[in-house]
Amino acid sequence: MDFKFITVVAIALLASGCASPQPPVPAPGSAASKVMVMGPQKYIVVEAMRVARENGFMIVDVQLSNSAEKNKTLYYRFAWLGAEGFPVAEEEVWKSQVLYASQNRFIQGIAPTPKAVDFRLELKTP
Amino acid sequence: MFARFSCIAVIALLASGCADTSPTLGSRYITYGDTKAVETVTNEFGSTDLQMIAESMTRSLAQSGVLRGRPVVQVYDVKNKTSEYIDTRDITNSIKTQLMKTGVARFTSDNNAMQSQIDQLKLQNQSGLYKKSTVAKTGNMIAAKYRIEGSISSIVKRSSDYKDVFYKFSLQLIDVESGLAEWMDEKEIRKTTER
Repeated sequence: MDFKFITVVAIALLASGCASPQPPVPAPGSAASKVMVMGPQKYIVVEAMRVARENGFMIVDVQLSNSAEKNKTLYYRFAWLGAEGFPVAEEEVWKSQVLYASQNRFIQGIAPTPKAVDFRLELKTP
Repeated sequence: MFARFSCIAVIALLASGCADTSPTLGSRYITYGDTKAVETVTNEFGSTDLQMIAESMTRSLAQSGVLRGRPVVQVYDVKNKTSEYIDTRDITNSIKTQLMKTGVARFTSDNNAMQSQIDQLKLQNQSGLYKKSTVAKTGNMIAAKYRIEGSISSIVKRSSDYKDVFYKFSLQLIDVESGLAEWMDEKEIRKTTER
């Protein structure tokens, strides 16, 4: 009886894969779908995004906020994508940005080529 | 039977098991790193500074809309006003490369490469070594509409606990005919080391 019970529990565990609940998939085109957070980070929040095109080049302004009570360093860079969703320029250099405690600030990205029609923002905390 | 099987297993393991399948050769202490990583080995001018300056200046200039109709631009050396040795040619080369990839401008020979261009034209036209039909004619070089020039300066402060370096890179685009600066931008970088 005990053996049968353990077997059933083991099979159930294997079937569920011990998986942790997956975060909801962001809606296509939403601000969340443009942000790729690399690794766990609790305090940096992407608030709003503005996308414009000036003189043929895509410009992205992103509002970030630090919900922590102390200063946080953030690393970020943009990836610029063409109509087919593939990069149209080489990778950008990672940039370092300090967000003071409870601060809201904007970062800006300018596409390197007029061919860019979409982007991803990569974020990472140390 | 068991001894024979064990022997075969050991030989098979020796033959296949220890083979190195990695496509590397040499010390495992040497690795290739990410060329786009934030470099903080020391607080002297580094690869991240060079890349950030080139990226920031190029994007700002390309997006400004000043360079309409792919004008011809001549790049001058960036003046190094810091106390460090910085190969500023690397900065201008990166800016030039990225602007070329953007396709917003064409470039004539840089001021420091102009002599090589003149020497080559003289060699082709005056030496009598070349077939006439293949010789590049003089008087056909395209003059620059704009020139790009800039400078990098630094303020360094030290205390017993801190070393603070503040870099300021300035770049401007000047209309050769009018002498007017049509575009200008700056990039500031602060690097602090706490001992």
